[in-house]
Amino acid sequence: MADATKLSVGFVGLGIMGEAMARNLLKSGLFSSVTVWNRTLSKCDALVAEGALSAPTPADVVAACDVTFGMLADPEAALAAVFNEGGVLAGISAGKGYVDMSTVDEATSTKIGEAVTAKGGKFVEGPVSGSKKPAIDGQLVIMGAGDKELYELVQPAFAVMGKKSFYLGATGAAARMKLVVNMVMGSMMGAFCEGMALADKSGLEQTALLEILGLGAMANPMFAMKGPGIMQRAYPPAFPLKHQQKDLRLALALGDALNQPLPVAAAANEAYKTAKALGRGDQDFAAVYEATQK
Amino acid sequence: MALLSRAPVPALTRRSGPYTAPPSAPPQFGRHIRHAVAYGPAPFSAAVAAVPRAPASRPLSARPARSALACHAELVVAAPSKTVLGFLGIGIMGVAMTRNLIKAGYQVVVWNRNPDKCKALAEEGAQVAASPREAVAAATYTFAMLSDPEAALHVALRAGDGAVAGLAPGKGYVDVSTVDAATSRTIASAVRAAGAAFLEAPVSGSKGPAEQGKLIFLTAGDEALFTAVSAPLDAMGKAKFFLGAEGAGANMKLVVNMVMGAMMASFAEGLALADKVGLRQQDVIDVIGLGAIAAPMFALKGPAMAKRAYAPAFPLKHQQKDMRLALALGDEVAQPLPTAAAANALYVAARRQGLGDSDFSAVLEAVAEQQAAAGQQ
Repeated sequence: MADATKLSVGFVGLGIMGEAMARNLLKSGLFSSVTVWNRTLSKCDALVAEGALSAPTPADVVAACDVTFGMLADPEAALAAVFNEGGVLAGISAGKGYVDMSTVDEATSTKIGEAVTAKGGKFVEGPVSGSKKPAIDGQLVIMGAGDKELYELVQPAFAVMGKKSFYLGATGAAARMKLVVNMVMGSMMGAFCEGMALADKSGLEQTALLEILGLGAMANPMFAMKGPGIMQRAYPPAFPLKHQQKDLRLALALGDALNQPLPVAAAANEAYKTAKALGRGDQDFAAVYEATQK
Repeated sequence: MALLSRAPVPALTRRSGPYTAPPSAPPQFGRHIRHAVAYGPAPFSAAVAAVPRAPASRPLSARPARSALACHAELVVAAPSKTVLGFLGIGIMGVAMTRNLIKAGYQVVVWNRNPDKCKALAEEGAQVAASPREAVAAATYTFAMLSDPEAALHVALRAGDGAVAGLAPGKGYVDVSTVDAATSRTIASAVRAAGAAFLEAPVSGSKGPAEQGKLIFLTAGDEALFTAVSAPLDAMGKAKFFLGAEGAGANMKLVVNMVMGAMMASFAEGLALADKVGLRQQDVIDVIGLGAIAAPMFALKGPAMAKRAYAPAFPLKHQQKDMRLALALGDEVAQPLPTAAAANALYVAARRQGLGDSDFSAVLEAVAEQQAAAGQQ
């Protein structure tokens, strides 16, 4: 393969995250070319005006580039981008690399990886932690798994898009890591909401509780960011509650399969189910607070 | 930021339970005044300050009747080299806190059930009393740091040589133990009956913060005493809150520790599941440490947990006691707490495994494989 600094890279999927990530690759000047594709082609225009190339199909992107990155919204979109006619798979040949940075379940990731390697390509699963702002600022946390050689090759690209990347093992490990981290996050939000509810019910000020939590070993960005919204009972969605509940459900299923007790996550999951039943599924996952008020 | 007294609350919004004042009480209001916070910038303060403060929907803990307060003699403001302080309970926390008082220049009289624990402090200049009463009598203001409600009651109220027996007008008793509100009120009554002032002052922070003088005091009770012991509190801590009538500090501490206990249990479940699905626990700790749920507690304790090492900073038995008391508070105010209840069961299981004296992070043992994972590092 070409020397790393002269790689040609492609980017499939220019949503909130993908556009920002592709822009960082373009601005870095580290790659001989950046070729983009999006299902709605007009989304490519801004990046093309900034110096990117565009291609009519994912297959064309892959054919034109050493390594192609994918950033699709969900498993369905990730599979479509790969397996549809003119999809990524159609462009894969010996030596090509595909790095799927979408957040998908392990089965989807494994399926994509197997198809890519069957055609002689290399595959890395690379979901991220962080949303729009970290994507723009190149501060994502990248959880990598799959082909170690390809992972090493794309280190410069990862360094441009993120603040840190991890190599976690064979394909599937990164999907599992995301699930574990999101399980802890979901449980923590549940615990936080119970604390806020108990404070309020006991005649304590929630502002005081937030302040105290923010001063000690428990302080974390999520409490600080979501606390004020909980106090106002307003939950504009950054991470929809229905997705958080889905992640908890998947984590619990993993626990079931492996005989791993997860009583706290199970209790938190019930709260998310209650919140969904209250119609809060599309709100931010902080709306699980409403389950404490039921 | 100071919050001055709120408007009186209509009777319709009164809660049931121990926090309801008798109908003849004066209008209820509470105050949240945050005094000097010496620590660095709190990034979310601006966001918190920007939240429009909703009118109180229910009264805060009842204030003591005005006449009781008027009985207190004038309280001297504590200052190094001028004020003698007492300290009851020289455990993990007590020894560190006392040391900071001595370093700040106070003369300190200490007492511990097992006098051996006082030896090191005696060599550093503390006087050792033979009983709680003796320490309290020798001091103007006495701090107590006992392990649980039973110990706090016993040390304060035991006949003959308990702390209350040594109190008198002009003195103050600051109970830093973490107890339930009812225990705190019982001690408060006895202290005030002796003519002294009472402050409940449980802390957030364990061994490290205690040693570094970075505790967070969650106080309630007699505000005059809060003001009088401001300097000693600052010698031991980085922040102090006055939250209203006694009960408010105790309850706030329970809420805080309930969140902490559930957070740690959640983290432990994450580490256990990670291990089961072939991920390195240190990778989980590192990924978490870079994201939205990065908390100092995880970074501090995670690596030792990955090695199944649990040197006690905060003993698990005390964490479980706090969860139990928080759940009892939830019962009292009719607040279901399923996540906390699930976490509590894990701490109970860990105690049954004999891990009560280990750090509370040993809750991992309640969810992890019983046999050490081969090659897990």
